[in-house]
Parts: sequence; C-alpha cells; structure tokens
Amino acid sequence: MKLECSIEKIKNGISQVERITGKNLTLPVLNSILMIASGKSLKLRSTNLSLGIEIEMAAKIEKEGIIAVPGSVLNAIFSNISQNENVNLEEENGNLLIKTKKSQIKIKCTSHEDFPTIPIVTGNSFEMDSKKLIEGIKAVYYSSSVSDIKPEISSVFVYVNQDNLVFVSTDSFRLAEKKIKIKGLEEALHILIPFKNIAEILKVFGEVSGAISVCYNKNQISFSADNVYLTSRVIDGIFPDYRQIIPKDFSTDVVVLKQDLLNALKISNIFSDKFNQVNLKISAKEKVFELSSANNDIGENKTYLDAVISGENIELGFNYKYFLDCFQSVNTDSVSIKFAEGKPIVVSPVSDQSFTYLIMPMNK
Amino acid sequence: MNTKQLWKNCLVEIEAGISKANFSTWFKNTSIIKEELGIIYIGVPNEFVRDWLMNKYHKLITKTIADAFENMRAVEYIITKIENAAKPEVIRTTETVEKELPLKDLYINPDDNLNPRYHFNSFIVGTFNELAYAASQAIIDSPGTKYNPFFIYGGTGLGKTHMIQAVGNSIKEKYPNKRVHYMTLEKFANDFVNSMQSNKANSFKEKYRKYDLLIIDDIQFIGKMEKIQEELFHTFNTFHENNKQIIFSSDKHPNYIPELADRLKSRFAAGMIVDISEPEYESRLAILKVKLRELNVDLEEELVEYVASSVQGNIRELEGSLNLIVCQYRLKNKPLTLAEVKNLLKNNMKPKKNMAIKEVVKIVSEYYKLEENSVYEKTRKKEIVKARQVVMYLLREDFNVSYPLIGQKLGGKDHTTVIHSCLKIRTDLKNDPQLLQELEQIRIMFK
Repeated sequence: MKLECSIEKIKNGISQVERITGKNLTLPVLNSILMIASGKSLKLRSTNLSLGIEIEMAAKIEKEGIIAVPGSVLNAIFSNISQNENVNLEEENGNLLIKTKKSQIKIKCTSHEDFPTIPIVTGNSFEMDSKKLIEGIKAVYYSSSVSDIKPEISSVFVYVNQDNLVFVSTDSFRLAEKKIKIKGLEEALHILIPFKNIAEILKVFGEVSGAISVCYNKNQISFSADNVYLTSRVIDGIFPDYRQIIPKDFSTDVVVLKQDLLNALKISNIFSDKFNQVNLKISAKEKVFELSSANNDIGENKTYLDAVISGENIELGFNYKYFLDCFQSVNTDSVSIKFAEGKPIVVSPVSDQSFTYLIMPMNK
Repeated sequence: MNTKQLWKNCLVEIEAGISKANFSTWFKNTSIIKEELGIIYIGVPNEFVRDWLMNKYHKLITKTIADAFENMRAVEYIITKIENAAKPEVIRTTETVEKELPLKDLYINPDDNLNPRYHFNSFIVGTFNELAYAASQAIIDSPGTKYNPFFIYGGTGLGKTHMIQAVGNSIKEKYPNKRVHYMTLEKFANDFVNSMQSNKANSFKEKYRKYDLLIIDDIQFIGKMEKIQEELFHTFNTFHENNKQIIFSSDKHPNYIPELADRLKSRFAAGMIVDISEPEYESRLAILKVKLRELNVDLEEELVEYVASSVQGNIRELEGSLNLIVCQYRLKNKPLTLAEVKNLLKNNMKPKKNMAIKEVVKIVSEYYKLEENSVYEKTRKKEIVKARQVVMYLLREDFNVSYPLIGQKLGGKDHTTVIHSCLKIRTDLKNDPQLLQELEQIRIMFK
C-alpha cells in the first residue's frame, strides 16, 4: 500500500473512527483501524461489534493494499501533527511508514486477516436531514436508563406517527419525547437504538450537514452520508406503551420563565438532600410558585418565582436533576408545567408541541 | 438428534482450529436453534457476528457440522436474542426505591396490555366469587367454546379486573400462540374515535379482530355511546362466529346498563353472566393473610382478625387499611397493639350507613322510574306498591328504622302494614331472583 492524502482529512477521519475501535475486547485486532486503499480513495474502518464505521476520503493511491494499525497509536500521532499539507503513507514489511515534510514515523501493524467486515444493512430506507436527526436524538437521549437490566429502556426509541419521526427515551422515573416532522415515512418503523451507541452517533453526525440515508431492519440500522457509513446494532424488544402514561387532564397549569426556574433549581440544588429532592409549592390564589429544599448539614432555602398560575394548589417533591436535564431541549424563553394529583409532571416549551417531558414526583 | 450436543461437539473441534481470541469473540453466545430438512440454523447474537461467520468461518463450520451430522445440507445463520447473558443485579439501593416513584404502568406488557401482577396465584376464592372463578377456569380449559361471552359484574374493588386479567395471563401461559388483548372500554372508544378521525375505520376493525381473546373492562360506560355499541356489536359477532373468547366486566348487570341496545343485552346474556359479591369474613381474613405474606410482614392473629371484621365491603379498602397498618408497623419497628390499630382505622372506616328516609325513597323511585311523590301517595297501583314495599324492606333491613316510624314517614301507614310489606318482600326474595338482583342494584346505589 502506498498513497498520499491531505493531513487534515485523514486527521478528522482517524479521530472519529478511533472512538469506535473496540476496547477491552478479547480480539486484539479490534483495537485497530483498518485502512483500505483502492481506486481513488482511502477507507478507514473500525468496529466494536456493536457499532461499525467506515469513512472514505479522496487520496492519490500509488499502490493498493489493506493494513490494520492500532487505533490509539494512530490517533495520538495525527492529533499532534499540525502542518497543513499532504502526508505519505506506505506499508513496508508489516510496518506503516508515515512521512510528512518534517517528520518520519514507523508504526508496527497487526495482521488484517482477522479484522471483521461491517454489516451492510439491507431493508427499508429513508432520507432525512442530519440536523433533524441530531436534534431528535439530542432532545431525548439523556433520559435513557443507563443500566443493562432492561435493554429496551436503555435505548432511544424511534418510531413513526402521522408524518412525525418520534424519538422517546425513559429510565422509568422520567420520560422525554420529541417529534420531528418528516413526510412520507413508513408507519412500521420501530427501532430501539442502544443508549451506549447514541453518543457516537451524535459525535459522528453532529459535524455532518446535508441528507443522511437511514436504512434499517429488525437487527441493524445504518446511517450513511457522503463519505461516512455508520451501522449500529438495534435492540430486539418492545418499548413500553408510554403514551398511556402521559396524563391528559391536569389540575394545575403553570407558565414560568425558563431562566428563572433554572436559577432557582440551581440554588435548590445546593441544599438538596442525597435524593436530590426539591419541594415545589403552588398557591393558586396567592399566585405563589415556591421552590424549597433543605439539608441538615448545610441549611435550607426558599425561592419564589413569578409565574402564571391557573388551577388548584399543589405541593410535591421531585428530583431536581430530572428537571434540569430537560432544559437542554427547551429552546423557548418560557416553559409550561402541568400537574395532576398522583400523576407525572408534564413539562413542555410554551408554544412548541414537539417536545414533551414527564417527571414522576417523589414520595413525601 | 440432540442439537445442543451436536453444537457442543462442533465447538470443541472449531476451538482447536482457530485462535482463542477469535473463538471467544465469534463463537461465544452461539447455538443451534433448530434443524429442518437438513438445514442447520445457527443462532448468533448480532449482525456483526453473522457477517463474519459467513465470510470467514463458513467453510470451517460447514465442514465440522458435516463431519458430525451426515444429513446436513446447508448452514444458515439467524440473529437471536440472548436470553440469559449474565446481567448485573439491581444496584439501586433500597432507599431510593422507596423514595422515588417510578412512572406507573410502564411495565405493563405493551403487546397485550396485561399486567403480569394479576395472576390466579394471588387470587383468593371464597363463596363470594367461586362461581366466577369456576367459570373462568372452564374458559381457560377451553377458550371460546364454553362460556362465550363471559360477563362478570360486581361492585367496585371486588377483584373483577384481577380476575379477568388473570384469565388473560393464564391463557397466554397455556396457549402461547393465542393472541390476548386487554383494554378498558374507554381505550376501545378512544381508538375508535381516533380511527374515525384519521379515516382508518377499516384498520380499526382489523386491529381487534386479529386477537384470539379480547377482554374489555368497565363496559358499563358504553350506555351513552351509540356508535361504539354498534362497533362492539360487530366485533363481538366476529369473535363469536370464529369461536374466539370474549370477556367483559361491568359494575352492573347488563340489564341495568342504561341505554344499552337490546341486541347487545341479549348477546351478553347468551354466554355466562356471573356476579362477584362482597367477600364475607372468612374470605376477608384469607385475603389479608395472603397480602401479608406478599408484603413479608408478620402481624398478630388478633390484629388481622380485627381488620377483617371491622373493614367490610370492598377488597380495595381492605388492602388500603392493611397497607396503613403495615406502614406504621415498619415505621415504628415494633408490633402494634390492638388499640393503636383501632385508632389507625378509625378514619378509614366507613361511617355507619346513615341515610335520610327521603333519600332512600328517592333512590328507589328513581330506580323504578317513578315520581318520588307517588310513593307517599295513597294508591294501589301495582308498580308503586312494589316500590313502596321495597323502600320499607330496605329501611328495616339495612337502616334499622323502626316499623312505626317507617309507617309514619311513608304517608301515615300503620306499623302492621309495614311488617306485612317487609315479610312479603322477604318471602318473594326466596322465589324471585329478579327481585334479588333489583335489590342488589339499589343497594349499590346507596354507596
């Protein structure tokens, strides 16, 4: 193998591919990045057997070939080369020679014979804007359960409902749902993407703009853009029928400024106990929205917020962490919070129907 | 042929031929799922493994299996769920479990809507529900043929939902291929309205008709929904024609569901209609004991007996009272005394029924669709006489009002007239099941 390509391109490629190399796996070759030089391009490939990625870049190929190079070594090297010019790569007796104007590096390669293929997904497919995909996933993924006990909820659930691509995740204490309008999707789409793979998907496609083609079947999903192909295992399971737990009737309805609430929560946090409990008290008649928390060792606090309140008085406790989490998905200035006795609290941005967030109150 | 043994033998051979790292990466969690007409289906955990086995090890696998199993024609790979991969135990501390409330109903099986918690294992049979229990067992033995439809009615909190969900769960266990679906009437109605809105009436029909067992809870609300009655009627017919079981629950006998179409009434009656009444003392005691065992709490016999005797009526309240006591018990961490228990239950107990005579007259006359005043009038119209007698009987039996007072309040009757009326109803009750039911319905309205 012998080729020449731009440092910047290969640097970007390696930094993305390296994240997905298998760490702590029994098969050492999975720590490597596979470099395939053929035709007019260089392909970088890596997999951890749950995710697989392939990035293609233009290169001047003088001699075709395949080699497997330890990913962490390669990444460490390229992240420290900062010249803006071309680099020469050449294989020589099982070693990779990297030459730039000002450096010469030789790395030991591993045998590429054992490096697995990554699955090419066949099945239904559709196209969507990468920004929308990222927006959907970002709005909900933090609510996923991080434990492996119930794989179907330690995942982001994606399905189609009336021209909307809906993203949902829950850890059974709170739940986030985001709807993204996309026309012409097939109703049968139901996919559970493992939570552990979500971060990588966000990272890789966060920088991609333009259309992504998504292909899926019941075992695997793939996302492909111009030069990136990423495929993830999907979870075989059924996501809980969450729509029936979203309350429909509310006893109290509140609108507050997001920034006010955020600041109040952060202060409450200082005094919250080990359960992160913050108490909320709403007096409709006096128009008081009060957040309070107390900690035996530190002290206690009460914050009063300006709010538009309608309905009945209510008093409850909740985990402030769950509340704070959802604000990363609320882009409006004010948020609407709805309560019903014994039911989850429903948070949504004012005048934005696409995002819904449920929080279960705590036992008193 | 034992596929398990075959695969085990093959794995030993394969292991010898490849590196340890490769073996443990690619062959861990694989198995032979089945063998059909000489084709061996190998189960693999995901597509990465399938691809690689096909690309790299297919020859090796085929050869190894062929050596051990002569009739092999081909090998195929299927992706399967790994059932018993080592999973970490629940790490969350018990404290947070008690403190945080999870989103309720999240663990209801979304496929059939059944809550696995409701099972016959935790179902208590007493005289108050033994008929319903026997019928439900017969249904589990041969669904769709014996009692179709099966209609359970009874007051709130007596275990109707538990029973019908338990039937669903049992049928699912016994016949894994049968598709069971549980829902409340409200859900059925909402689905129907939604499908009308989005012009998918046909898919609605299809949706329910594909099930083998349909369970509809709280059917009593169907009274005012004409369109839904019609839809239910058609769904019902489809089920019945195909010998598929259908189960309903209601808090009233179908004859007393207001504005229920006659064609539905008669169809409900075609199967089996049973009622669940209130549990008697022994059953209440049994229920409490089972609950205590579930909660893993030891309570003194005396206390349990006191709760059973003092909390009458529905099971839900019984459980509520017990929870209250158990909660106190855990909080104090020492056995409670009888006095403490009495004090705890003081607020929970239903106040002794105390109803104005006028109120009783109003309810009864409403029930018989009569003018309230006509009961007080001096008339011998047959239907009014009957209503008046029922009022007298109920006042005497349920509220312990004295004979003279009853007579005086109901238009100045002599106390002997009242005695006669009560006696008459009492004897009629023995021969007239219709009357018995009427009285039960009226008594429900008192609550």
